[in-house]
Amino acid sequence: MLKKLLTQLAFFLHSSKPYNRVKKIVSDFLLNSDYIYKKYFDIFMILLIISSVAILVYEVKHPVAPWVDFFDIYVVTTIFTLEYLARIWVHNSWHNEVVREYGDVKFLNKKFCLWSPTKRVLLDKLSYMASPTAIIDLLAILPAYRPLRVLRIFVLFRVFKLLRYTKSINQFLGVLGSKKFELYTLLFLLLFITVTAGIAIYVFEEKSNDSINSLFDALYWALITISTVGYGDISPVTPEGRVVSMLIIITGIAMISFVTSVIVSSFSEKLTELKENRLVEEINKEEDFMIICGYGQMTRMFLRHYEHEYAKRYIIIEKDKERVEEAIKEGYRAIQEDASRHDVIAKFNTDYAQVTLLAMTNSDVANIYITLNAKAISRNIRVISRASSERIAKKSRLAGADSVVMPSLIANRMLFTAITQPVMYKAVYAILTGQHLAQLDEVNTVYHQKIVGKSIKELRLKEQKLLSIGYESCKNRTFVFNPSLDYVIEEGDILLLMGRQMSINHFKETYKEIGYVHT
Amino acid sequence: MFTRNAFLFGYNKKRRFIARELEKEPLNLILVVDEEASYHQAKDDGFREVIFMDLTDDELLENLKINDNDYLVCVMTDHYMNVFLTLSLHSIFPQAIILALSDSPHNTQKLKMAGASRIIDLYQVSANRIHNMLHKPVATKLIERLFSPEEEFSFKEIEIPKGSSLDQVMVNDFDFSEHHVILIGMIDERLSHQFIFITSGLENRFDVGDTLVCIGYNEDLERFEQFVGL
Repeated sequence: MLKKLLTQLAFFLHSSKPYNRVKKIVSDFLLNSDYIYKKYFDIFMILLIISSVAILVYEVKHPVAPWVDFFDIYVVTTIFTLEYLARIWVHNSWHNEVVREYGDVKFLNKKFCLWSPTKRVLLDKLSYMASPTAIIDLLAILPAYRPLRVLRIFVLFRVFKLLRYTKSINQFLGVLGSKKFELYTLLFLLLFITVTAGIAIYVFEEKSNDSINSLFDALYWALITISTVGYGDISPVTPEGRVVSMLIIITGIAMISFVTSVIVSSFSEKLTELKENRLVEEINKEEDFMIICGYGQMTRMFLRHYEHEYAKRYIIIEKDKERVEEAIKEGYRAIQEDASRHDVIAKFNTDYAQVTLLAMTNSDVANIYITLNAKAISRNIRVISRASSERIAKKSRLAGADSVVMPSLIANRMLFTAITQPVMYKAVYAILTGQHLAQLDEVNTVYHQKIVGKSIKELRLKEQKLLSIGYESCKNRTFVFNPSLDYVIEEGDILLLMGRQMSINHFKETYKEIGYVHT
Repeated sequence: MFTRNAFLFGYNKKRRFIARELEKEPLNLILVVDEEASYHQAKDDGFREVIFMDLTDDELLENLKINDNDYLVCVMTDHYMNVFLTLSLHSIFPQAIILALSDSPHNTQKLKMAGASRIIDLYQVSANRIHNMLHKPVATKLIERLFSPEEEFSFKEIEIPKGSSLDQVMVNDFDFSEHHVILIGMIDERLSHQFIFITSGLENRFDVGDTLVCIGYNEDLERFEQFVGL
């Protein structure tokens, strides 16, 4: 009976949209570094930790107000407890495991055993609870238990919790982790020399030196000396002991230099990677950003004119090291990666941010591959691809490109217009290059609600030195060119106006009112 | 035979479009190339007047019989050669209109210094297009359609002839919507030879010789052109 109920509960949870949505949100806040609101949660937790430690330090010499105690014992601890439980909750999904097992068992016509998936999930959760970070989380809750004063020192574990919320400390540990072998070797060497020197000084001076009464004293002296700290509370008195001192001082200096060089070299090796990761992390926090694949003449020209508009909301991905260096030298945000690789594009936050990808390499084949790669990762990525001919443009569209740019075709058309219609060329050139004299701009009813329900005539465009060129209909997104003055603008329409930037800005300001965005 | 010539210096697959389109215009199209492969390709593509010559030789260039109002289009793939040719043509035919294709701001500047009348920067125009695609998708689509020869609406230049019903009419007094066309701007011969956008706020008057730039459906534009001619 209980088994049936629990199985039903698992199926219910598995199909429950609200439950899964809540779990996803909690998981994003706790674990997803690409989630744009996670940083606020992290900052909040860091502030809690700092306040808790500050209270601990303050109350060593001063009495604290009852509300401060209440805050420290109940508020901070409750939040930490909830966080600890939430982390265990989102670590894995019991219902998913049950549903999966149930499906497999039914497929094989075997008897379903609820305990088997439940045990797996519990063991997995226990294994998480035994992990160092989870233990730190648990120990950080203990200081709330006041009868045992000694537990107050566990507040320091709250400091360790900072590791969860600060990337730089994690990165530092990550870099040290990459030199694990060298550091372990040095540690063993240090232990070996310390123990050997400790035993030697114990043997030589136990009888003649009043400060050395046990092997522990000798080992303590050896460690203090080899680390070059040298408190001076214990010092050798026999010539043999002094020789040992000299030897371990020299060894200590050599070891410190060695450790420093290992850490510095590992940092310099990882520096580029760290910088690139930081760039990706930074851009993933944006709500909309642009990935530019390839740093050639086209990208250069695009950024030269429009970089200021995108500020930090773009990243260049280029395979060629020299080109990346050139881009960085120019002050652009570039990383050396291959944009046609799945993992390279997948590390961008395509779930929450509006991502535009420009496939701008010199190779048509590469651009098509990059387009396919991006679209395979997420259909939401908007791709603008470069193509050298109409045939390639067709293939790019088939690959999923939302728009295709053909530099030679555009230039040919401009040349043709310049020859056949020279007056018009000037007008078109001004419009295309967005000169102040004539801008062709869009007025979206979503952001300019006040124009909804008004006829074009009522907008008095002529008085504002504006021209109505047409509108994109909300109904079927078709473009209606040169509409009648009696046309009444509907919600969702996009009005296309021409005029000086000043006139357009004034018009937009007049009718600005944000409405609901229909999806 | 037409009175005006268009000399296209340089030919390859990418320039086939411009050559084909120019062929349809009331112009004598002459392709001038300095590579044998380009010469054969142009011939294979069906162009009748193709000249194969050394473009660094000024004497040969002088023999091309270029008139003052002819169009000289420099689209050589070699940038150095393109700039050099522009300079040579400008020194030999100072009155001719030279159009050139560039692929960088530095090259554009050099072509300008060499005497090109109009320079189209391949990448600048494309960069603008990408920017417009991102920020003004509807406007970009419209511009693409206006440029496309297959579309039913386009731009048109209309010159006001003698005896036109538009002569002496104030721009603000004329209702273009009755003719279903949109006046974008004009060259007012009386005031200046510069192109003026209609949205610049100037109160102009139409005179004989002024050139209007309108957009509209092709049929409406044709009808309006006839109306202007009446």
